[in-house]
Amino acid sequence: MTSKASRREFIRAASALSLAGSATPWAINLAGIGAAAAQTVPSDYKALVCIFMYGGNDHSNTIIPVDAAGYQQYAQSRGNLALAQNTLLPLNAPTNASLSGRQVAMRAEMGQSFDATQMSLKALYDAGNLAVLSNVGTLRVPTTMAQYRARSVPLPPQLFSHDDQQTNWQASPTAREGTRVGWGGLIGDLFAASNQFQNFTCMSASGGTVFLSGRTTVQMQIGNNGAVQVNALNNQTLFGGRNVGNTVRAIMTSDRTQTLEKDYNAINKRAADSAQALNTALASVALTTTFPNSGLGSQLRSVARVIAARTALSSRRQVFHVSIGGFDQHSGLVNGHGPLWATISQAMGAFYAATVEMGIADKVTTFTASDFGRTLNSNGDGSDHGWGAHHIAVGGAVKGGDVYGAFPTVALGGPEDVGRGNLLPAQAVVQYAATLAAWFGVPASSLSTVIPGVESFSADLGFMNAS
Amino acid sequence: MPAQPTRPDDAGAVRFLAQASFGATTADIAQLKDIGLEAWLDQQFGMSRSATGTHLDYVLSQFPLPIPDGTTVTMDPAYHTFWRQVMLAPDQLRQRVAFALSQITVVSAADANLQASPHTIASFLDLLADNAFGNYRDILQAVSTHPAMGQYLTSLANRGDNGRTPDENYAREVMQLFSIGLFELNMDGTQKIVNGAPVETYGMDDIRGLAKVFTGWSWGNQGTADPTNGRFAGNPADPMRRVIPMQFYRQYHSPDAKVFLTANIAAGTDGVQAFNTALDTLFNHPNVAPFIGRELIQRLVTSNPSPQYVERVANAFASGRFTSANGYYTVGTGQRGDMKATVAAVLLDSEARSASNATQDDWGKLREPVLRIAALMRAFEATSQSPGQQFRIGNIDNQMFQTPMRSPTVFNFYRPGYVPPNTTIATKSLVAPEFQIANEVSVATYANTLQNWIPNGFGSTATGQSGPDIRIAATQARAIATDAAKLVDHVNLMLTANTMSTTTRDAIRTVVESVSATANNAAANRVNLALFMTMTSPDFLVQK
Repeated sequence: MTSKASRREFIRAASALSLAGSATPWAINLAGIGAAAAQTVPSDYKALVCIFMYGGNDHSNTIIPVDAAGYQQYAQSRGNLALAQNTLLPLNAPTNASLSGRQVAMRAEMGQSFDATQMSLKALYDAGNLAVLSNVGTLRVPTTMAQYRARSVPLPPQLFSHDDQQTNWQASPTAREGTRVGWGGLIGDLFAASNQFQNFTCMSASGGTVFLSGRTTVQMQIGNNGAVQVNALNNQTLFGGRNVGNTVRAIMTSDRTQTLEKDYNAINKRAADSAQALNTALASVALTTTFPNSGLGSQLRSVARVIAARTALSSRRQVFHVSIGGFDQHSGLVNGHGPLWATISQAMGAFYAATVEMGIADKVTTFTASDFGRTLNSNGDGSDHGWGAHHIAVGGAVKGGDVYGAFPTVALGGPEDVGRGNLLPAQAVVQYAATLAAWFGVPASSLSTVIPGVESFSADLGFMNAS
Repeated sequence: MPAQPTRPDDAGAVRFLAQASFGATTADIAQLKDIGLEAWLDQQFGMSRSATGTHLDYVLSQFPLPIPDGTTVTMDPAYHTFWRQVMLAPDQLRQRVAFALSQITVVSAADANLQASPHTIASFLDLLADNAFGNYRDILQAVSTHPAMGQYLTSLANRGDNGRTPDENYAREVMQLFSIGLFELNMDGTQKIVNGAPVETYGMDDIRGLAKVFTGWSWGNQGTADPTNGRFAGNPADPMRRVIPMQFYRQYHSPDAKVFLTANIAAGTDGVQAFNTALDTLFNHPNVAPFIGRELIQRLVTSNPSPQYVERVANAFASGRFTSANGYYTVGTGQRGDMKATVAAVLLDSEARSASNATQDDWGKLREPVLRIAALMRAFEATSQSPGQQFRIGNIDNQMFQTPMRSPTVFNFYRPGYVPPNTTIATKSLVAPEFQIANEVSVATYANTLQNWIPNGFGSTATGQSGPDIRIAATQARAIATDAAKLVDHVNLMLTANTMSTTTRDAIRTVVESVSATANNAAANRVNLALFMTMTSPDFLVQK
């Protein structure tokens, strides 16, 4: 850290805050400056990419016990939802003591790659670039089964409700729908000054999300082809009229007093200010990795292209959000779940290949998130809303080829079962987030600022190499 | 002086029609000024659906049932009939309320199980239109037994026999989204606070109790009920099964006691009776009046109604009767859940009608994309050249980021409590649901789409036709286009109810005037400029 760097960075952060100042309470300004002043401009590039599986992934058919006794318990508990044992892809988990004498596997579709030159999720695991995070869920404090049953510790609000638990994952363990700040955005607040274009710090390829909203950082939406420019802004002559572009720009982007008008024009203005710079940089990107034509594949391709433009845009720290829906499989789980994981495996494999092509596989970490896990037992032909769930993190900096955290007993009435086989989480979302944030460069002293609630837990789950 | 009907001026009529219809036409304005809001409401409440037929009628005219072999069915007619009725149906209030209800009790054509059936989507929209002026209890009943909902929220073929664990999906969402919400509410829509915290309306045990009620329902059949095992599982399949209510199959119903909320349904109770008791229990929960009332206000009038406004609407819902502030107008059966009383309370409330509210900084709502296009089409005489005026607007997610009846999830296109981050709206502790689909990509795409659609038309080309199906004729506007000020005033009235700022108006007029009145296509170009620049202006985008 040089004093010059932190001084330049402070000035950038301060000017960014003053732009937002008119609409931001003083206390938040102070907090933002305090946090920003603690950071310096890093010399390297890093990106975090969140893949949100909307609807709640059926984790029990994602990572499955495959040893004889474990599979039998699984099959008995799942009934007609159980996957056939001989279709599963067994995983070695060299350091996970909780798996002693047991073995887990991925479902078959996690072995699919988009083309022969790219890796599947299973291949990424075997190559040491994918870690399985066992039984992660929303918790406010470390919670034992006895404490859960007695309700003697505070629990996250509205467990099992889609939008509230999405928010809880994306923001903090006390958050519910309507929350305005998420941990990806708060990380963005710390690092926005590291990027020439602060608007490109937090980018979503799949719609607005509280995850990417900081106190000062505003997420920017990108489409499958990068940003979208308003054509009329650059057409001074349109429909035979003159000075149209300038006039439209004034109407669409000028500040307004009416509250909703003001905020709508602010979106227009961000689009107008950023789109050209982004698309100009993207036009020079030469990335040869091919991506599957799925929604997730297209989103990850778009993210990869933005990353490929990092030098042209002088970006050093970026947080991305992409998503895939359709996981709320109360019905049709048996036939519907596999294709989702085929899509994920192909898209994540392609994205990893792109980071290898760019020579920054160890600078980009991709991780999954979802509303919640699902019930272990069947409701007939699907599963219902649950709690703890397994997740994956992928990248060259991931200590992959291993399973992290206490793997649950996959059986109804097991020690982690809070009802219908729903899991009391063994690892908290805030720990998962903090492990990723620390790798990204968030100093230990700032972790509880960006990940509220993490102070109640040990912060590192151990699945990332030192940054 | 005896109370008088409310006869609006031109701008007042446009403003009312933006709330109560899919947008003003010149004829609507004249009629409202003539008969007043109350008589207009009565006329709308009394109007049958026969003039334009049902949505299902239209889909059947394109794809008869049973579907002939070799026919590839698409969702398009279900979208087309929505826009057809936006343009052609005289029962505008019914159509607009049905659209609002479609965003509360949500099913989606994007769902894997529904995407192949325009019939079921059209039939579901019909049930909302049919009941829009009925009773919310009947809406809950019809929604809960419709096969589109049964498939969407997986209550169809849900089993509770032999100790099976029922699917909890419908039980959860009917409470969270369609009736009572997550937290106990005061009549004014604010949360009850006990010991410093809001009070949850239900817990996991309530969901599991209610889930047992929604067991034993599956495909219906025409004629005599046929609750056989095969029919339950889908074989034989009645050709009309996607558009007639589900039927009850006793053998698959959970025989257990069902305990949830205030209900305690004894073991062995008849399943249909249990179903009715369950919906009665939800319907009579005190939350329903403020919960549904507030959402209807947000869909029709403003994102941030005052608690007093919500309470007045909730009282109309609860009492089944609405009387206007001046005592001139009364409507409603006196039954809880009366939709006429509720809708009248939403639209005639002093807060909705106050002209000075329209100039308050925090008033109004971001017009959702569907309503923007509808307003343009109605005010500027959109024509459909296809046979029978099909108004062939299909899936417009990539252009408008909103397609009617095609929400991404049961949580609608946007949540009623959505707070856009990093905004003045957030700083002021307001909500703005429609901002959930406004981002850098969608706002820019919207502007680019308009730049194309306004001059060139839009909608898919019918067989044997050429070019886009729909054109903005703008006959009245073109007739006055030689006078730029007059043209801009007309657009200002029809699209923004004369709320355009002087700056915006002057800027548009200057550009319009830069097109020589004698140039080729001057009238069309001037109108295109005025419409494009108005519809991308915040003055139009925020309905006030």
